Amino acid sequence: MSSVPGDQTRGDSTPFIAGGGSVALSRNEVAALCLKAARGAGMSWGLAEEAGFAASWLTAHGFDGPGELRAHLDEAQGRAWEDLCPDIAPGAWRAAAPDRPLCPIALGATLCDHAALPAGPCQDRPLALGPVDHPLLLLPFLDTVAQAQGVVLSLDWDGGRIVIGGPGVGLRDAGVFTQRRAVELTLSATPGTVRDAALTPAPRIAAETVAALNAFALRTTVPPSAASRAGAGSAGSDND
Amino acid sequence: MSRPDPAPHSRTAAYRRSPAKVMRLPRMGCSHPTRLSFLRVLLRRMEEGGWQVDRPAWEMDAAGVGHAVYRARGEGRIYSLVAFSHDLPDEMRSDRVIATAWDATFTLFDGDPSAADIERLRVNVPLQEAGRISTRELALARANRSVRLFRHVVEALADGRQPDTDEIAAVGYLMRTTAVYGSGKFGAADRGDIADRPELSAPFQAEMLTVWLIRAFTVDIVEHMAAIRGGDRAVRLAPEIRRTLGVGNSTGLGMAPFVVRHPVLLNNWIDAREEALARVRAQSGATDAAVAGLRAALEAAIRNAAAWTSEHEVQVPKLRDLRGDLTRLADELARWDWSRDHPWDALWHWGIETLTPEGQEALLALMLEPHGALVDDLADRMGADEAACFQLDGAMRVRELRRILDDRYGWALEIDFTAPRNVARFWYVSEEKLEPRLGERASETGAMLEQPLCIARLASELDCTLTDWDPDATVASVLLAHPEHRYIVRRAQVARDHPYAEIQDNLIGEDMLPIDLLRCKLAFFGASQFDPRSDRWVRINLFQGAPYPDEIGKGIAS
Repeated sequence: MSSVPGDQTRGDSTPFIAGGGSVALSRNEVAALCLKAARGAGMSWGLAEEAGFAASWLTAHGFDGPGELRAHLDEAQGRAWEDLCPDIAPGAWRAAAPDRPLCPIALGATLCDHAALPAGPCQDRPLALGPVDHPLLLLPFLDTVAQAQGVVLSLDWDGGRIVIGGPGVGLRDAGVFTQRRAVELTLSATPGTVRDAALTPAPRIAAETVAALNAFALRTTVPPSAASRAGAGSAGSDND
Repeated sequence: MSRPDPAPHSRTAAYRRSPAKVMRLPRMGCSHPTRLSFLRVLLRRMEEGGWQVDRPAWEMDAAGVGHAVYRARGEGRIYSLVAFSHDLPDEMRSDRVIATAWDATFTLFDGDPSAADIERLRVNVPLQEAGRISTRELALARANRSVRLFRHVVEALADGRQPDTDEIAAVGYLMRTTAVYGSGKFGAADRGDIADRPELSAPFQAEMLTVWLIRAFTVDIVEHMAAIRGGDRAVRLAPEIRRTLGVGNSTGLGMAPFVVRHPVLLNNWIDAREEALARVRAQSGATDAAVAGLRAALEAAIRNAAAWTSEHEVQVPKLRDLRGDLTRLADELARWDWSRDHPWDALWHWGIETLTPEGQEALLALMLEPHGALVDDLADRMGADEAACFQLDGAMRVRELRRILDDRYGWALEIDFTAPRNVARFWYVSEEKLEPRLGERASETGAMLEQPLCIARLASELDCTLTDWDPDATVASVLLAHPEHRYIVRRAQVARDHPYAEIQDNLIGEDMLPIDLLRCKLAFFGASQFDPRSDRWVRINLFQGAPYPDEIGKGIAS
């Protein structure tokens, strides 16, 4: 790549973010960067959009969504898509490959897709999920299910319980999920009054996280050629 | 997902144009600005809301280097344009995103900036993409001088005379913006943070306000340079000449994907415009005031078409068509019988039968012009809550999804994507500059990294997959087996309730013209003088003829 430090000639400023500091990103920047990174890491465009949504939602609720996604994309490297996606059986969703953790983005999107269906998460029996990598990334999808279906969701694991859509603490407890891998979860739904999860000031994002996501994002771009450079601008001079 | 009223426009339904008619690229490429265009919405709001603008800071040296602040106050809020003026050597002046320095750089500050804010902005705003702004800022922009006209105007004013109006007319602006960024770019406030403010709820209002205040800056800086140079001899620009100056804008392919990536927004823009036309046509009669308003608008359009120049091979015949059509329209209006039943609808039908697509779309804009009381409220529905449309409906059955494909994407399913001409192009993002570009599939590498703007082909591929599925199967099951279709399934579900969401043309076909996408979007902004510089790069003019900040609220037509 031909960029030099301080090169300002790009339609995006996140590539300038590097070094040991941190940066305040807008939700739009988080969503756009994470979409591109997820696509660069091999997700389909539609699923990459979900990754962008999830990271942006987490940021708006005070969590380091980009940091979780970055770690997940790093770890998911080289694994086949089929191994990361849920195999749906009544009462238990697991990865198709034995003992492999599920991708929280694919699992979350699939939970949303099945929210109103008999095989889905809103029935009167608990649903075993997992193991799941980076379960913090599941929360945006569970919140969507809770809002859409009017249910309060309980997510149990061997370290405790997180309630989504209910009154009180709820999300504040979710910090324990930060950077966890291969967690076995049990999801149960009860009808209830669903509350909006409280918005929280967005955390600053480590510059190193932004740089790592940009490295994934760069995989969606096409190296320069004489033809591409020639076609991009005005046919005449701009100095008139 | 939002569910619009199933019969929202029953009174006007018979007068509405179909998506199959208006969502074709060649017709979108004939779009004209209307009174629903976003800069017109802004000006009306500022007029009606009694907005006041002042300039609390003007700290410029003799070389025109320094900063200025323009403060707009109204409806209980303050927005301040912070302008930084630079001394740019000619060899560094480029309109492309690859430029690294500009004649002037700007940000729109949310409120009244402190001295500390100005200093923070002074080290970031001139860097543009390489700097960072904060949630206190709503937009980031830069502009370059039109070198020839800027110099001419400075020389004339310094010399104590007004500039040559032919020179002014030939360019139409002192500076042109080369980018106006909003919506959370570079750390700015997110759209969601400001969308509930009434004055910013219509699309691109923060960006339009930025450009309108930049226009005032371009005149102030030229007068400043003239005063430095001419001293006591220097004069200010005459108001009637000043009025004819807008702000130029140079834009390229980067803007084109926007209308594809924001289907709900595109739907709401087109829907509002089409509903406006339908309301005008649905009137049983015509008032004298409306007829007089139409005549005045036509005269202005004829003057505008005469002043509108382009050397581009696509635009030259379009301008010829437009001028011919406006003449035909003037002739027809001279003998038009307004006492007939539904005279506006009759006029529209006359236009369809008589005029080229350029003239038809111009007639649409003219017919809306005298009907503010009838159509201006439609501006309130041109925004979009895109997040509300993000969630897929996994419980939908394959049968229903196929019905949507037939209803909304029939035009796409007819395209043969095995024919090279129908897949001749691909959209991609360049590694070097991170800007959207259009490649030739047969001769360029990189098609494996194609962006999902080839909507027609994606719809066709989904249709092909669905033929093997049980009609009673759920969309959730399809997506579990085929995650690659998630993107187009989401779009298709949006398109079900948003009939104008999709451009009904093949965006990777060999004869696709990117400037048609640009013209449609820019017309909604309110751009005039659309002047292609290649098939993917244009210059336009914004706010030409509009009031300046010191004229707002003084009854000057906008």
